Amino acid sequence: MLAGTGHAIVLWKYPALIVVAACFQGLFRYFWRTHVFGFSRHVDWDFRNAIFAHLQRLPLAYFQHTKTGDLMSRLTNDMVSFREMLGVGAMATIDAIVMISSSLTLMAVIDPLLTLWCLLPLPGITVLVLLFGNRIFERYRDVQQHLSTVSTFVQENIAGMRVVQAYVQQENQKARFERLSKEYLVKNLDLVKLWGHVWPLMSALSGIAATVALWLGGRKVALGTMTLGELVAFFGYLGMLAWPVMAVGYVINLYQRGSAALARLLEILDTPVAVGYAAPGTARVARVLGEIEFRNLSFRYAPAAPLVLRAIDLKIPAGTWCGVVGETGAGKSTLANLLPRLFEAPPGTIFIDGIPLAHLPLQALRRAIGLVSQDVFLFSDTIRENILFGSRDSTPEELETAADLAQLMPSIEEFTHQFDTVLGERGVRLSGGEKQRTALARAIVKNPPILILDDAFSSVDTETEERILEQLKGFMRGRTAILISHRISTVKDADQIIYLKDGRIVERGSHEELLALKGHYYHLYRRQLLARELEALADNGGPGS
Amino acid sequence: MREQQEHQDDEILGKAYDARLIRRLLTYLRPYRFWVVTSLLLLFLTTGLQLLGPYITKVAVDTYIATRDLHGLNLVVLAYLATVLLAFVSQYAQSYIMQYTGQWAMHDLRTQLFAHLQRQDLAFFDRNPVGRLMTRVINDVETLNELFGSGVVALLGDLLTLVGVAAAMFALDWRLALISFVTFPFMLRATAAYRKRARENYRESRRILARMNAYLQENISGMSTVQAFGQEARHFRNFKEINTQHRDVLLKSIHYNAVFFPSIELFSAITVGLVLWYGGAMILGERLLPGVVIAFIQYVHRLFTPIRDLAEKYNILQAAMASSERVFKLLDVRHSLADPATPTQPAHLRGEIEFKDVWLSYVPGEPILKGISFRVASGEKVALVGATGAGKTSIITAHCRFYDVERGSVRIDGIDVREWDKGTLRRNLGLVLQDVFLFSGDVACNISLGDPAIPHARVAEAAQRVHAQSFIDRLPGGFQAVVQERGSTLSQGERQLLSFARALAFDAPILILDEATSSVDTATKLLIQDALKELLQGRTALIIAHRLSTIQFVDRILVLHKGRIREEGTHQELLASGGLYTRLYELQYQPLA
Repeated sequence: MLAGTGHAIVLWKYPALIVVAACFQGLFRYFWRTHVFGFSRHVDWDFRNAIFAHLQRLPLAYFQHTKTGDLMSRLTNDMVSFREMLGVGAMATIDAIVMISSSLTLMAVIDPLLTLWCLLPLPGITVLVLLFGNRIFERYRDVQQHLSTVSTFVQENIAGMRVVQAYVQQENQKARFERLSKEYLVKNLDLVKLWGHVWPLMSALSGIAATVALWLGGRKVALGTMTLGELVAFFGYLGMLAWPVMAVGYVINLYQRGSAALARLLEILDTPVAVGYAAPGTARVARVLGEIEFRNLSFRYAPAAPLVLRAIDLKIPAGTWCGVVGETGAGKSTLANLLPRLFEAPPGTIFIDGIPLAHLPLQALRRAIGLVSQDVFLFSDTIRENILFGSRDSTPEELETAADLAQLMPSIEEFTHQFDTVLGERGVRLSGGEKQRTALARAIVKNPPILILDDAFSSVDTETEERILEQLKGFMRGRTAILISHRISTVKDADQIIYLKDGRIVERGSHEELLALKGHYYHLYRRQLLARELEALADNGGPGS
Repeated sequence: MREQQEHQDDEILGKAYDARLIRRLLTYLRPYRFWVVTSLLLLFLTTGLQLLGPYITKVAVDTYIATRDLHGLNLVVLAYLATVLLAFVSQYAQSYIMQYTGQWAMHDLRTQLFAHLQRQDLAFFDRNPVGRLMTRVINDVETLNELFGSGVVALLGDLLTLVGVAAAMFALDWRLALISFVTFPFMLRATAAYRKRARENYRESRRILARMNAYLQENISGMSTVQAFGQEARHFRNFKEINTQHRDVLLKSIHYNAVFFPSIELFSAITVGLVLWYGGAMILGERLLPGVVIAFIQYVHRLFTPIRDLAEKYNILQAAMASSERVFKLLDVRHSLADPATPTQPAHLRGEIEFKDVWLSYVPGEPILKGISFRVASGEKVALVGATGAGKTSIITAHCRFYDVERGSVRIDGIDVREWDKGTLRRNLGLVLQDVFLFSGDVACNISLGDPAIPHARVAEAAQRVHAQSFIDRLPGGFQAVVQERGSTLSQGERQLLSFARALAFDAPILILDEATSSVDTATKLLIQDALKELLQGRTALIIAHRLSTIQFVDRILVLHKGRIREEGTHQELLASGGLYTRLYELQYQPLA
């Protein structure tokens, strides 16, 4: 009886101990997990912020020669790989270290020699890691690279579908795609051949350890040098080793992916920021008046690239308008982009109010310039947000005035949600002309002393353009304006007009002076007059109708 | 009133299990059913072998260790080793075979998708942005790949293990088995609660991630606007806000995981405790052998692993269902320009073109071509002129049947283009487009478009005849020189010559030429002019002219204005008549000073 109660207590005690220990373990696990994973999420957050902030300060040239797809893939896939290395990787490592060391200690307490015997398969893991680790990494990289080849092929196929269909290349393209896809499959299977070993092998290794324990431990129990309870405990601890040992392989994989990803991310961070951000100007300017001067400005986009602008000398007094005309590729837009330092001109070539551009604080400079570019970029946000883009403090009246000046109100009134209409792929699609007028309103509402209209009306018909210009004249009075266009009608009222050809100013003067020259400008003017005539002719039901 | 379009969210996730989708997905495995069955058998084998381990331990303890039968122990240990090794082989084979079939099935799906895209008409591509189609062919298939590669099979294996463990437990001792399942209802509750929260959290995180990526993409594309307006700080704040939301939703998921997974371990520990307690009492009462308890403890561990996995795999399943739904939706899009059931197959093409009262509109009610009628005789060269927006490009569109005409008909050798097989039709119309599209690859490949039917000799000859040879020779690698993505290594003129060579290599009896508008230097201009003559020789040609140089050697000129043909005649006749053409001529073809 007594012995029975004694046993009952013992019987009750150990299971309870197990549960209590498990409770503590669970609690600790909770804290580990939340801390280690939490840490990785915070690092991820910081890292994303840092990269975004860095991207914002990179020179625009960077975005021209970096594919958006590539950047996005780094910021998404690589970011996740990096985070997993920090989170899952660190967690598994800590888990492994704690579990392995504590299990081994407890095993050694029971029977040190048996423990050693059971560890025999362990060096196998090291060999495995050394043997496979790098090759798995390489094959993994191969798979990733090939996937990007496949992506590029599909992208080009879709973008060039007109050519593909016109030349009836569908079958051919299908065959090529199938080949690429098959290569991708083979590369994937190559990876599987190696990687597929890892888990079964890890579990086999712990199985072998268990075999050793069962054999040698069983003998000892049979011979009476070990109790059955000890063997059971030993077996239990060995079981606890199985997962952490398998985790080692997993961690190695995570680490390799993560470090490759980190390298790709650091490449972005290592790209030097634009000069304007790296060394912001310090000149104190209360108010920009708007005098612009180009002194012997020559410019090329890259050291090896051809010159886009050659020896430009031009002075635009504050409050006057300068027209810029010339053929496509003559360098007109480059001139517009250099002023707000979107691209960096050589030092000492551009001055505003007599101050070299580099000495002006970047923000002050850009605040003073209202730029309407040729290719308008609007954000998938409301019209209001898009117009108030650079001037958040404007009143609703100012917003409406700007929209009105840009002749945008008729379009806005068509929308159910008026200014709150969402634009872009998920909202209303604007026509090219509406986009340009929105961009114009965006520049007007900024109320800048310098206004640059870079071919801002190319998608607007001539009639509307003239109406806009007429209305805009009141607004432009007293402001410095650079009017870039291939239409004479846009520039003819400017105080001075330059004609750019191959990056050089070949003609300059007022409209009348240039006409009198009978040069490039004159011919352009003649051709446009004829075009107007033709338009009028057709509208009146010209010949043939 | 113009309404905002409905929000179309790619990231909305549906059910994790949809029988209709699963059935359709399984059809992709049908060609590999032998391997699928093999893999399933191996899965059974692996699971069985893994479940055998604890039982062998039990036998070792109860039958041999307890009776001190060392010889018997050796045999049992050998059996144990055999199961370990066999399990390794079968597990590896199983995972390889499953990956193998999954990869092949996905390869089939991917090529099917790609082929499906090749059949779509151009209107389809006007509606669907490149990015979205790319996501379907690449990313969604990758997600499914993961499902086939690991997800489904692992799930199946987990379920199998669960059933197997339960069976083994009941076979060993039903009382102890019942005790082991005492915690099961609680655990199911916990799993259900976790799954619900995890699913919502996962959806939320996908939504925020999609927003963050869209914001990133937009900022990368619109960086010049952000910088020009000095909005870096504000956009950084916006980004940080989304990023913070992203972090918080991830932190929440950590919390759920950190509660769930340790609690599973706790349940497992409680179960082990119960087994020890009850089993221990039974051993003392000599109603049970100790080996059974040892085996049970191992089984309990194996019981809990699949439950953990099942909860984890749920997300993969859900994402895969969403992907397959989108992929199938794309595959179900029918193309509108069907080929006739019995297309005409003319043996020899004379090359006559006839437009008969052709009306064409892209938007209903806004016709671009309004009753165009003209004929081009075999071997004749006709130029189309007209101001921008006159409808010149739409003539090509109707001719090649990129869109169907609304009224009237376009005929080649008297046969309506709708009666042709589109491939045969287009193969007979050599199209040289204004915007020369170059593919990544070498120069030769851009001439032959990788068509194996065009031997290198013909490529070289074509290049020679359109005077492209000299600049190709100057390129490092010649015909093997790599052309950059946007063709930036080649000048405008060189790209045009390449596209001429392309048309010549394809040798179509009818040529449709949309001249490039951009200006090239005089030397190149002469070269192109010469190449053009070579190209046009002996062919019927319809030329959309932008330059005087071309017009001089055509037989006839059609003047297009606002969707109608207004004048027709030779250059001299039209000039003499002093109508629209004269103005156009002065406007467009007057050389720059």
